Amino acid sequence: MSTKGTTEPRRHRRSGTFRRAVLLAVATAFACWLPFQLSREDIGLYDRMGLYALVAIGLTLLMGFAGQVSLGQGGFFLIGAYTSGLLTVGLDPDTRLVDPNAGIDPLLAVAVAPIVSAAVALVIGIPLMRLRGHYLAFATLAFALIAWSLLYAQDRFTGGQFGVTVAKRLSVAGHDITGATHAAVVWGLVGVVLLLSANLVASRSGRALQAIAADEPAAAASGIDVAAFKLKLFVYAAALAGLAGGLFTFYAQFLGPEDFVIVLSLLFVVMVSIGGLGSVYGAVVGSVTIVWIEHELRALGTHESLLGWHLPPQGPSILSLGVFGLLLVVIMLFFPHGLLSGVLGTIEATRRRVARRDRTGEPPPGVSDPQRTRESR
Amino acid sequence: MTTFFQLIVVGISTGSVFAIVGMSLVLVYRATGIVNFAQGVFAVLGGLLTYSLGQHMSLVVAAVLATVISAVAGTVVAVVAVGFRGRTTPLASLIITVGIALLAEALLLTAFGEVPRSYRAVSDHAWNIGGVLVQPQYAVLAVVALAAALGLTLFLRRTIVGQALVAAADAPRAAELIGLNLRSVAVIAFAIAAALTAIGGLLLAPTVPVTYNADLSITINGFAAAVFGGLASIRLALLGGYALGVVEQLVVGYVDPQYNLIIALSVMLVLIGWRSRGELAL
Repeated sequence: MSTKGTTEPRRHRRSGTFRRAVLLAVATAFACWLPFQLSREDIGLYDRMGLYALVAIGLTLLMGFAGQVSLGQGGFFLIGAYTSGLLTVGLDPDTRLVDPNAGIDPLLAVAVAPIVSAAVALVIGIPLMRLRGHYLAFATLAFALIAWSLLYAQDRFTGGQFGVTVAKRLSVAGHDITGATHAAVVWGLVGVVLLLSANLVASRSGRALQAIAADEPAAAASGIDVAAFKLKLFVYAAALAGLAGGLFTFYAQFLGPEDFVIVLSLLFVVMVSIGGLGSVYGAVVGSVTIVWIEHELRALGTHESLLGWHLPPQGPSILSLGVFGLLLVVIMLFFPHGLLSGVLGTIEATRRRVARRDRTGEPPPGVSDPQRTRESR
Repeated sequence: MTTFFQLIVVGISTGSVFAIVGMSLVLVYRATGIVNFAQGVFAVLGGLLTYSLGQHMSLVVAAVLATVISAVAGTVVAVVAVGFRGRTTPLASLIITVGIALLAEALLLTAFGEVPRSYRAVSDHAWNIGGVLVQPQYAVLAVVALAAALGLTLFLRRTIVGQALVAAADAPRAAELIGLNLRSVAVIAFAIAAALTAIGGLLLAPTVPVTYNADLSITINGFAAAVFGGLASIRLALLGGYALGVVEQLVVGYVDPQYNLIIALSVMLVLIGWRSRGELAL
């Protein structure tokens, strides 16, 4: 996938690094303050937005810079969640009894979650990173399906369809991290990960990644180990998904297969495509948008009828499957650099066209095509 | 031993469907460079349409109509998935087909509901061969898969349209230069693949009831079959499908039914990993 959208703002990047870091810090501080002002229901929604943003940031780097799409980020999210959950509850698979004193400290469990996800990614990623994109897409989907099927097949450990209740709460130095505090911690981590990821893109490795994104054979010819860089991104993305999963455990305090359905992995792809492949800030916008849309659609879908059309009992799933599918098709067809940058680009092109028409009195030939306007400048 | 042979027979019949879907994926991939994530949707569409139309007419007529409608749906998917020249990359096309699959599930759920559907097989009679029960439906599936493999191979090698499909994928620029319309090529490939997959799906429905969201597992099993031949070989996709079906049934019979998908997908992962050795950018 071309990454014109991500290489373009590079010129501004150098001069504005400090200013951007300050802006990011202010935005993160606001994001951490916000949950304390929200209602109970909204905090849950807001928390989920942050958790999914962590996953989407990793995926957008993988899709934008490695040109690889993972349809299995939900699998890494699942592994992170069950890793931290099962380590915490101290489940005895033979008696199926939960021993509250047996598990390890939740904080440690959350720290282990991304490591386990990353290790799994390393194992399945080594052979895959040398192949073309669609192999990774199907292999990661297969992996997510395997992980999900194992929840049922190994229900001695996972509780199968009944799930596992995690009673212990995440706490740091005696402070319980639940509700608004949990959301604040998650969004604080989103800020940290954004800073890390933006720096990664701007660093020496980032320049290698941009070279790979622009022209893979050329990058390989200039001595960049393309497969190794792609693998690192894949592992990084998996670690972020694992971290989000680990934190999810102490957001829900319950783990069941319902929260890790296969469609979730595809939703992460929708989030990334909204924000633009390779745009870490876009990934946050994407996750906020999708979680909000899903919430609204669920409310809409439970109505008896909608616009005079009778809704069947499966209304919520029909609406969300339909809307997300349509979004994905439309965005990839018409705004392959992301809905956000696509819309902003169109506005910018129109503004320029208007400005130019004001100068010359009439539109110059060929400006009806925004792409050409940009090139002619 | 009877159990073993019984499992092999059932495995070959379900494997035939994987083979049919796998060959459809290979056909589309060879002609357009696109891996169609929505391929399994046509199998579901074929089954559900045959059921619904079969309420009002004979099942044979319903099946023919379902196949034709699926082929038309295939042309629509082709136009959307190919996208715009020079702007839509193969990876973008793959993501578009993911979107189409989600959208299709919503439409199928709206049109047909979530109840698993099944109907009469070609014959209620079952042959007893040394204790092994062989339903005629199994034989029909296996024969259709074989015929499809033979037909597709001859089509790609011997007919002018088939040659055009191969040419369009091997050298798109050169193919355009000699006057091939790449979009028409894609439409033809998608339509044939959709019809073929629909036939596979509507033949499977009498033995395995079909639901609106069965497309994902059908697609991924078909992809696993196609991977045997690196997405390029019709013949190997056929063998891959049979092998996958048999392995899944043996797992069901001897290990644990819960593990059949897990083991089949693990086999696919190992195969992909094995293919990656020495083959950069396959």
